[in-house]
Amino acid sequence: MSRSLPNLISVTTIAPDGSRRTVQPADVRGRYTFWRRVTAVLLLAVYILLPWIPINGSPAVFLDVAHRRFHILGFVLAAEDLWLGFFLVTGVAFSLFYVSAVMGRVWCGWTCPYTVFLEHVYRRVERWIDGDGPARRRLEEAPLTVGKVLRRVFKHGIYLLLSAFIAHVFLSYFVSLRQLYAMMQGPPSQHWLAFGVVAFLTASLYFAFSWFREQFCIILCPYGRLQSALTDDHTVNVGYDKTRGEPRGKVNTPGAGDCINCQRCVQVCPTGIDIRNGLQLECIGCAACVDACDDIMAKVGRKPGLIRHDSLAAFKGGRTKWVRPRTVLYGLLLVCGMIVCSLSLLAVKPVGVSLNRLTGAPYFVNNGEIRNQFQLRLVNKRPQPAVYRVALAPDAPEGLRLTDAADAVQVPALGEVVKTVVLTLPKDQFRGPIKTQLSISTEPDGRTQVARELEFLGPDPRLQNDEYLNPQNYLR
Amino acid sequence: MSKSTEENTPELRPHVYDGIQEYDQKLPNWWLFTFYIAIAFFVIYWLAYYQFQLIPTDEERMHAAMAQIDAARLKQLESLDDAKLWAMAKDVKAIESGKATYAASCMACHGPTLAGGPGLPGLSLADKVWKHGGQPSEILKVIRKGSPDVSKGMPAWEPQLGLPRVLEVLAYVLSHHQEGETFTVDPNDKPTWMAAAPATGAQ
Repeated sequence: MSRSLPNLISVTTIAPDGSRRTVQPADVRGRYTFWRRVTAVLLLAVYILLPWIPINGSPAVFLDVAHRRFHILGFVLAAEDLWLGFFLVTGVAFSLFYVSAVMGRVWCGWTCPYTVFLEHVYRRVERWIDGDGPARRRLEEAPLTVGKVLRRVFKHGIYLLLSAFIAHVFLSYFVSLRQLYAMMQGPPSQHWLAFGVVAFLTASLYFAFSWFREQFCIILCPYGRLQSALTDDHTVNVGYDKTRGEPRGKVNTPGAGDCINCQRCVQVCPTGIDIRNGLQLECIGCAACVDACDDIMAKVGRKPGLIRHDSLAAFKGGRTKWVRPRTVLYGLLLVCGMIVCSLSLLAVKPVGVSLNRLTGAPYFVNNGEIRNQFQLRLVNKRPQPAVYRVALAPDAPEGLRLTDAADAVQVPALGEVVKTVVLTLPKDQFRGPIKTQLSISTEPDGRTQVARELEFLGPDPRLQNDEYLNPQNYLR
Repeated sequence: MSKSTEENTPELRPHVYDGIQEYDQKLPNWWLFTFYIAIAFFVIYWLAYYQFQLIPTDEERMHAAMAQIDAARLKQLESLDDAKLWAMAKDVKAIESGKATYAASCMACHGPTLAGGPGLPGLSLADKVWKHGGQPSEILKVIRKGSPDVSKGMPAWEPQLGLPRVLEVLAYVLSHHQEGETFTVDPNDKPTWMAAAPATGAQ
């Protein structure tokens, strides 16, 4: 079976007629493979265990969409705190900028959930059932026999089960395990939305990891393309030392470089490239080729590191510059973002307050008093019941009165209460719109204080005092 | 640099821009497939939605849903007569939740004991004098739609609370009264504390 070597002109996994060429990466051992697997196991444990670990009575991560409460490692955020998502997005972006500028696509090869599931879950299952890369290739090209069909059914059955499992874990982040378990007991007709989400996710995961695979990283993923654009000559990437390796030749060929053209680096590559052609957009920085080449170099008694992590500058004989405008700028932006994010998190109050005018007229004049009616929404973000005292700011003008200021508002744990707030002012004390504040403090400690601005409106006093302009005189 | 050893090296297109040339390569079949599906979807959707109006628009769907809600509410309201409302007023659970809603929404004006209070603008709901009628269905109407006199400030609560919570509040108010008790209707009803000490300067 002769397969042409991967080249820079075409994508290996897309045949000239547009059909798909599967990649069957061969087994590889080595320090990078080992540590990559350890990382993946840890990440998988985190993904799966987070919904199981209770913190403050809720799962460690529980994005309770139904009640709009987002439990993250003991913190509770409400829908009104959605703006913090800005820091999540920019934080991820700047971290990625920085890491990519320094070390290339390590995110892709080591920590991206897609890679973790593909390389360390689904590919392991395939390895277990169908054998090493060459064996898988032989099986792929073999005619359809009962044995092959059975193997395929078995493999894809496990893929489907795994996909369904991952989909359920994903859903449990949003509905909690208890509710997920309750849903699993009942028929789908009781929760079509959740059932649909899990069914869709299962199908998507199965498609992505059984067939689509590296096509996602090469063609669809915007992060991959973005990261390729963030690197420069001093970024440390997986690369081939051309000066040492070329010209390629058999072990005993005189004048040949260190590369013996054994193709091991090509065979183990999960995206089907030849790293000796230089840095390519398909490369996810997984370092499988580094382990493969080091292994061969050891066997032929040569120094390891013919393929290694290094910058383009270093491969050309120069030195890698770690401090350069790009890394400094990305680093500064990252640090700035982290500081602002921390300050914002500290500023998040455990109570959400909003104050709106009640429907109807903006003010009422009854019994010699002007009255403004408001609606106060109090959102308790703590997992304990809370009591809030609602009062006018101390600098509110004299005569302005809250009708039931004596009453503290009780709000259940993680609940919310909409309360009517009525302000009155004797008519003869009104001189025009009053800007003041309503303050909300926790009882009994008064530790949390939130103030909301309000404007007290009334009839224009000029109309009231003018004998001819006062509509009441006019109409009489 | 290793050049391609394939005999079917893709054709190089003749045009050059800024020294950049391109190969004439096939797109991945799966990519083309999604593209064709998108085109087919566009044609079907364009015909069904814009040409033959087979799919209801969002506006139509919303109006249909609103009509459904209105019909259901109307049916529920029609089935509510004074006898049923009095029966609800004996439901301990409804009274309990009605009390909580009352505390949040109504107490600021009508006071903690339903009897109003010094300086409170709301009328007493505990006495036997009603301004807009004392039958449960008449009280329900005022809570749902607000006071007929918009200058007084009792807003319509149904849009805010919804009919079920309005009914619970009514149950809580009725729990302070007896079925069949005598009441008077006084269009000039005022808060109790004002009747006791008539305010000066009021119109």
